[in-house]
Amino acid sequence: MMAFNLAWRLFKHEARRGELTIILLAIILAVASVLSLSLFSERLQQALTDRSAEFIAADSQLRSRAPVDPLWIEEASKYNLSTAFQLSTRSMVFAGDELALSDVRAVDAAYPLKGSVKLADIPFGEGIVTSQSVPAGEVWADSRLMQVLALNIGDEVEVGEAKLKVTQILSEIPDAGFSVFNTDPTLLMNQLDIEQTKITGPGSRVRYKYYFTGEPSDLDDYYNWLRPQMNREVHRWTSIEDDESAIGNSIARAEEFFLLASLLAIVLAAVSIAVAAQRFSQRHFDPVAIMKTLGAGKSMVRTIYLIQISFITLLGIVLGSIVGYLIQQAVAVGLQGQVEVALNTWYWRPLGIAVFTGVTCALLFSLYPLLQLFSVPPLRVLRRDISSTVSSKVLQFALSGGAVFLLMWVYSGNLKISGILFAGGIVLVASLLLMTHVLIIVGRKLGSGSMGAWTLAWARIRRRAMGNSVQLISFAITIMLLLVVLVMRNDLVKQWRDQLPEGTPNYFVANITEAQKEGLKEHFTANNVSYEKFYPVARGRFVAINDDKVRTDVTKEGEEAANDGRQGLGREANLSWTTVLQSGNEIVDGKWHDNWQEGEPVPLSVETEIAGRLNIELGDTLTFNLGSEIINAEVTSMRKVNWQTLQPNFFFVLHPKAMENFSATYITSFNLDESRKNEIAALMAPFASVTLFDVDARINQVREIIDQVSMAVEFILILVLVAGSLVLVAQVQASMDERLEELAILRTLGLKGISIRFSVINEFFIIGGVAGLMAALANEFSLYLLQTLVFQMPFSLHFEYWIIAPLVGALVVGLLGALSCWRLLSLNTAHLLRKMV
Amino acid sequence: MSQAPLMIETKNVTKKVITNEGELQILHPISFQVKAGESVAVIGASGSGKSTLLGLLAGLDEVSTGEIILDGEPLHSLDEEQRARLRGEKVGFIFQSFMLVQSLTALENIMLPAEIAGLPNAKKLANDILVKVGLEHRAQHFPNQLSGGEQQRVAIARAFITNPKILFADEPTGNLDSVNSKKVEDLLFALNKNSDTTLILVTHDSQLSEKCDRQLRMTAGELVEQQPRLKVVSGD
Repeated sequence: MMAFNLAWRLFKHEARRGELTIILLAIILAVASVLSLSLFSERLQQALTDRSAEFIAADSQLRSRAPVDPLWIEEASKYNLSTAFQLSTRSMVFAGDELALSDVRAVDAAYPLKGSVKLADIPFGEGIVTSQSVPAGEVWADSRLMQVLALNIGDEVEVGEAKLKVTQILSEIPDAGFSVFNTDPTLLMNQLDIEQTKITGPGSRVRYKYYFTGEPSDLDDYYNWLRPQMNREVHRWTSIEDDESAIGNSIARAEEFFLLASLLAIVLAAVSIAVAAQRFSQRHFDPVAIMKTLGAGKSMVRTIYLIQISFITLLGIVLGSIVGYLIQQAVAVGLQGQVEVALNTWYWRPLGIAVFTGVTCALLFSLYPLLQLFSVPPLRVLRRDISSTVSSKVLQFALSGGAVFLLMWVYSGNLKISGILFAGGIVLVASLLLMTHVLIIVGRKLGSGSMGAWTLAWARIRRRAMGNSVQLISFAITIMLLLVVLVMRNDLVKQWRDQLPEGTPNYFVANITEAQKEGLKEHFTANNVSYEKFYPVARGRFVAINDDKVRTDVTKEGEEAANDGRQGLGREANLSWTTVLQSGNEIVDGKWHDNWQEGEPVPLSVETEIAGRLNIELGDTLTFNLGSEIINAEVTSMRKVNWQTLQPNFFFVLHPKAMENFSATYITSFNLDESRKNEIAALMAPFASVTLFDVDARINQVREIIDQVSMAVEFILILVLVAGSLVLVAQVQASMDERLEELAILRTLGLKGISIRFSVINEFFIIGGVAGLMAALANEFSLYLLQTLVFQMPFSLHFEYWIIAPLVGALVVGLLGALSCWRLLSLNTAHLLRKMV
Repeated sequence: MSQAPLMIETKNVTKKVITNEGELQILHPISFQVKAGESVAVIGASGSGKSTLLGLLAGLDEVSTGEIILDGEPLHSLDEEQRARLRGEKVGFIFQSFMLVQSLTALENIMLPAEIAGLPNAKKLANDILVKVGLEHRAQHFPNQLSGGEQQRVAIARAFITNPKILFADEPTGNLDSVNSKKVEDLLFALNKNSDTTLILVTHDSQLSEKCDRQLRMTAGELVEQQPRLKVVSGD
């Protein structure tokens, strides 16, 4: 009870006198930054996932080549999941004498579960969201179908044996997907009408999509129930995270970046707690010596200070939680309209993590300083030069380092990122210790002579170099962590924006004949339309690998997938040919066929993912049926394709000479500025037989999400920068306390205030510059590991930061030192001396 | 002279420390005795080993060789925890730099030894003794709000709250002006007399040392002289 009372008394008085400010601020910073970051990340990720889920019109989809057991759908409701349904098939749609092969989609009233259907007033007009679903007896035809069949609203069309009325122009459906090889216009109808059409009988090719939305945990539970019953040949489960497109990839990268930034914020906070705890401990050396002199044993001292640390931690966690919540709310409100996060949703996980971080940081990072404190001998009351009997830099670094790694690992659950960051830190610390030794040697020469400001600065650095090593390391770590976040954010945002730069083609044209090709090029040129390359395409069936037949069937309604033969594509193959390796394609094995000689086997380049899926290897001979012709081609190269760009890419690319006798159609794309959109119909009128795709909406959707993600990344960067700045301030403050005695003595001995000021500023300038340089070098090492092993990005050196970091480090640390020094030296000498007591 | 029991007995006590230059002998074999209730001044030049001797006698440090018996307890064979307990029960301290806990008020500083010793009425005892030292009006002030003299009086109050058997004072007037020094001196010896506390006083102050019953003179780590208080006799 006595220990509790004394601890409470000490805590109360010290809190009132502001003596706990630094350590309290450090814990508040740790808790607030972790809570605000992780709460905002959780909300933002949910918002982005919701946004992205629009692309599959749900949180998850079950795709099937046959109707699934109705019990599967009934079961979903037991998991609190909402469901919707879509059946799609290709069928002729007739309007009078006109006919067109269409992508017919029959949906239920619940579709779509995420995203919106948009309708237009005129073909290719602006899409407006509708909350209605297509009624039975009616159809909604897309702009191309309206054009091809010369339809008007109110006209009747025949779909199989059913006659249905066209009542709306379909502008957009959320899960349209995009492929230039799927050239059919879309017709949306009610699933109740599908039976009367009779277009899904035996022999037809039908796809069934079942949509699900719900809590992630419920979806996981349902999927775990469903999975054992699924047939891999027939069924496929997808979620937005499985999406390899620009969006899916951007989301995944953003999540990794948020995690990285949060980890760095934790490390920064941990550094500030370590510095503050060290200072707290040193300020209590005398009280501990006094208590022991007066009869307190070690266990009593331990109890008193553990209770006091507990009070400080508890207060820090409560205040930090409040501050963190408010910061996050303020940012979310501030970003309303640009980033839509749900503010009424609460997540307990971020709070749990923040509290855990506060407790862990406070305990683990004060452990070594407390050990030092408990071992202060009572003899210190007679000999003030005696401090703690515990003094082991190795132990200190091991405890601190182990604590940092544990925190990072527990928080992220990602051993890789934690290991990489930790390794970067170790390299940095080792380098800094080496640099400290160099400073001692350099300082010896520079720190002697007349007492100018620079000489004084170097002398102090030399004298205090070893003692300053912890400070130097913590400055450098802070700067390094800020650099990592800044550079990663720049590289990520740039890479995202490079996927869809300004001028990205927003229209695709397919089914261009050989005869139309040159004419279309001239037409585009005459109309100031910049167009991309014309890619030749021929459709064929992939039938054998090294004379082993592959399954060629594309699984029609009512058929089971044939079990004999190697796995095939499951659909027709789109072959292209060129000698110029397409941008976004990279040869990873074999040799590109730009130099084929007559007489050699026909060379073929295969995309790596399809090669993996179909077990195709270099040297294999693949056989394709194109109409009645057979092509045998030898795999001479494997290509890695960047599917994230919106340009045509091909699984199979041949040499042009091999395809000379085959007729091809062509695909190209072009960009038409927003201001010229209303010209599109007139522009394409002379080439009415080609198929036009408007991908503007999709590009804008992708750009919107990328912009939102970038905005969130900016916020997190700012938060980490603020955390880093506070850490620097805490470090400089702690550093100034150590300089107090020296400053007072110098002042008493008559050294001019301005000389003292400049010597302190110079010392911080030098330390900040050194820390910045070391941080820039360690930053490259950390970035190399992060970018290549975690973010799957190409690595490049960032030479500009080798100059910027030391300059900014010197400037910022020097400025902070100057401000702190100014405050101290504005006191008169008597006050200064009094502060020393 | 009455046969008062021995409060302190030292036998061939030495103290050595290891420095960068090797082993350094701070105290050469020292032997002496102090009776209960005596006041003893330890005098000598700076660096003569006075404070080191004080530290050993108070149990703040360990002897290298020799024996120290403090109120019948073999200090030299006790561990740190046992010495701390002994200090709490029997010893009071006054220091040149006052050594008050800056985060506690004057009253709380005085209460500290009583609380550590587990006395139930620590606050009442502290208030009473605060009155004795004339600082009842400064009870809620922190050390940095008190003058040097006031701080030392608080320290004296703290030293006497548990009614220690022995009081160690290291240059108690070293940081005070002459007026405050006199006040502190008078207070110290008055309490010493009233409580019958043995007083061991390390000092440069000859006036202060002459007030003690005995003087031990230290030179270069050796006890070179022991003499009773010099008496000044007036007359022809």
